[in-house]
Amino acid sequence: MSTTTPPRQRPDQAARRGRPGAAPAASASAATGRNRQRWLPWIFLAPTILGMGLFTLVPIVASVVLAFFRWDIISAPSFVGFDNFSEVVQDPTVRVSFLNTIVFVVVAVALQLGLALALAVMVQEKMPAWLRVFFRSAFFFPLILSAASVSIFMRYLFNEQFGVVNWFLSLVGIPAVPWLTTPGGSAAVVVLVYVWQNFGFSFLLFIGGLASIPVETYEAASIDGATGWRKHLHVTLPLLSPTTLVASVMAIINALQVFDQPYVLTRGGPGDSTRTAVMVIFESAFQRLEFGQASVIGVLLTLIIMAITAAQFRLSKRFVFYQ
Amino acid sequence: MTGATNGHLREITRRTALGALGAGIIGATVASWPRLTGTDIPGRGDNSLSIAIMGTAADAAARQRAIDAFTRLHPEIRVKVQAIQAADWKDFFTKILTMVAAGTPPDVVYVATEGAQLFAEKLAHPLDEFVRRDAADMREFFDDVHPSLVEAFMYKGSLYQLPMDWNAANMYYNTTAFSQAGLERPADDWTHVDFRDSLTAMRKARTSDFTPYYWTNRLFGGVVPWLYANDTSFLKETRSTGGEWLWDDFYAKDPSRSLRSGGYQWLEPNADDDRVFESFDYLRGLVKDGLGVRPEEGGGGSLVGLFASNRIGTTPAGGYWVQGLHEAGMGANDFDVQFFPRWKTQRHQFGTAGYAIMKTAKDKDAAWEWIKFSAGREAMELIFPNPITTPARRSMVNERLYAGKGPAHWKVFYDTLDRFPTTGPIPAPPQQAAVETALMKNVSLAVSGDEQQLKQALGSMQRDLELALRRQS
Repeated sequence: MSTTTPPRQRPDQAARRGRPGAAPAASASAATGRNRQRWLPWIFLAPTILGMGLFTLVPIVASVVLAFFRWDIISAPSFVGFDNFSEVVQDPTVRVSFLNTIVFVVVAVALQLGLALALAVMVQEKMPAWLRVFFRSAFFFPLILSAASVSIFMRYLFNEQFGVVNWFLSLVGIPAVPWLTTPGGSAAVVVLVYVWQNFGFSFLLFIGGLASIPVETYEAASIDGATGWRKHLHVTLPLLSPTTLVASVMAIINALQVFDQPYVLTRGGPGDSTRTAVMVIFESAFQRLEFGQASVIGVLLTLIIMAITAAQFRLSKRFVFYQ
Repeated sequence: MTGATNGHLREITRRTALGALGAGIIGATVASWPRLTGTDIPGRGDNSLSIAIMGTAADAAARQRAIDAFTRLHPEIRVKVQAIQAADWKDFFTKILTMVAAGTPPDVVYVATEGAQLFAEKLAHPLDEFVRRDAADMREFFDDVHPSLVEAFMYKGSLYQLPMDWNAANMYYNTTAFSQAGLERPADDWTHVDFRDSLTAMRKARTSDFTPYYWTNRLFGGVVPWLYANDTSFLKETRSTGGEWLWDDFYAKDPSRSLRSGGYQWLEPNADDDRVFESFDYLRGLVKDGLGVRPEEGGGGSLVGLFASNRIGTTPAGGYWVQGLHEAGMGANDFDVQFFPRWKTQRHQFGTAGYAIMKTAKDKDAAWEWIKFSAGREAMELIFPNPITTPARRSMVNERLYAGKGPAHWKVFYDTLDRFPTTGPIPAPPQQAAVETALMKNVSLAVSGDEQQLKQALGSMQRDLELALRRQS
């Protein structure tokens, strides 16, 4: 039947082709409608395009331009060519901060995704609905808190002399740990606080991903003899790979831009042990008034983020499975 | 009924809806235009003298009585105080610079020693002409204010601010902890060795949940007082020429006149000095032996509570602590204060603050009138009714200010300047932010490990300071 049915034509198409019955008035109306269809999407897109242009593209272009200038806000900018680039590359603090950031990303993202996935699987298991709602809320709650407020609070918790954490440790005979005043301790606390605050987002993504896996697939796996762990390994993980890709892309981008937690908790110390790339951008720009150098670091960080994200999408062709 | 035809509500077409949406957006934009352009910020867009201070809205409101008194004197000058909240002075200066970049700088800014040279170098207008012009009015102020505070605001021979309040790094001690350890009030000239002995005694008396010496890693009250006491610093201190116009006119008879200069200069790093190593090694020993904590970075916000709950034996702080300890429940005799222990010298470290007129100020004469008024006794008593700081005027540091709050030896605060006239300001060149970062980032490492780590940290500090001073120079 369908093969004999003539394809539907829009009235404006009919009018254009001079089909009988296409009235001139209808033709004009159709043309107006066509025009409207052309510009209507742009009207709806305009706020976003305007916002992106003003608040994303313009700053990016401005940063790239500013990278070639020396500017302290107060005096007029002066062109210095590639001087800012060479100074930034030679600055040991910048190098350490980038290294710290990469190490942080590897550790924090692995923990964040691992924890989020484990808890999402746990919450999706059979449990009363109210308990599920409670866990979902509880795990997401830290994300809505201000990172600065959380970090200030954590400073008190992890205080070596008077912090609650060391008090609990003392109850089981563990001596006070210098959490925030030694390189290892402060790095661990920064990662811990960051992961605690951010895993909720990945957790929600995984919950959504798990919900979209058909029950029949698990049932088929059970019939084939797969037990709990094998089901997760051979069904959950592969079918969750698109969600994992999204979660990891977002987690890595966010982690590369970590600032609040290390800044408030440790101010980048002791030494440079918790100094991150964004922290160096902030210090260069707003504390040392070297906006040119801050721009260079910002541009470098942007390139790194773009490269890593591109690599993730390229690799995803091998590791991501779509149903 | 509007919109009804033939008894039916008129259908709202897509065009009408879009039109309404557009009108709504335009209306909302127009309505919020003052907010978008910042013209709803008090003092902007009119001829008010805008004054920026570091603090909360409550701090701004606390100045209202002074503003009222000023308005009675100068009804032609409208004053608006803008309180800017910041974690520390560095953050506050950052916000002021952002306002400058945005083209909305205040006319007058309350600036502490930490930013005095940054402002003098780039942003502030010198007060010389005004002070000379109103010398007769100013004489009473300078008679009441120690020259060390004034010198801290001299830069290359010019005066940029009048000191309003200040604080030296004195040593607070918990009298309960001292008596539990069988300790008497330390002597005025106690040494760093006496200090260590006191900490050891306190540690023996209270083995847990107590820290004999608590200090924070920052420019004021951190490692610097120890460096000053050991007759050194992490930056080489030199003095500018000039400034005779002020010293000869207002401080000619002062016993310390010969010490005064055109202002301090810190042009070279000094972290590789032997005495710097010695001072850091002393602090490292305190940490290693459990007598002092590893210094935490940032402010000392939590310190008042810890000290008031008798969990800290000693800590360096200024007069700004008294009101806080009182409010935290400490009685007048529960704590006391003494000079910082001596080493090679008993030179102290202090920080002071006062108003600076911005180069961009619309009406500098009006700004000067505000500063002159604020330096007067009446205004200072209105602004500092409680011991939240040490007033710059010697006559205001009196029995009445500390009555019922303590400490018993409140005279220590101003005696720090009168008895030790070489007491100096926080080392804060125009590159202060970079210098402070370089100091703080290496202090924790320097005092937390072995001798080798200390040497490495000081080497790193020297390099960082070289870089910091070279930048923007």
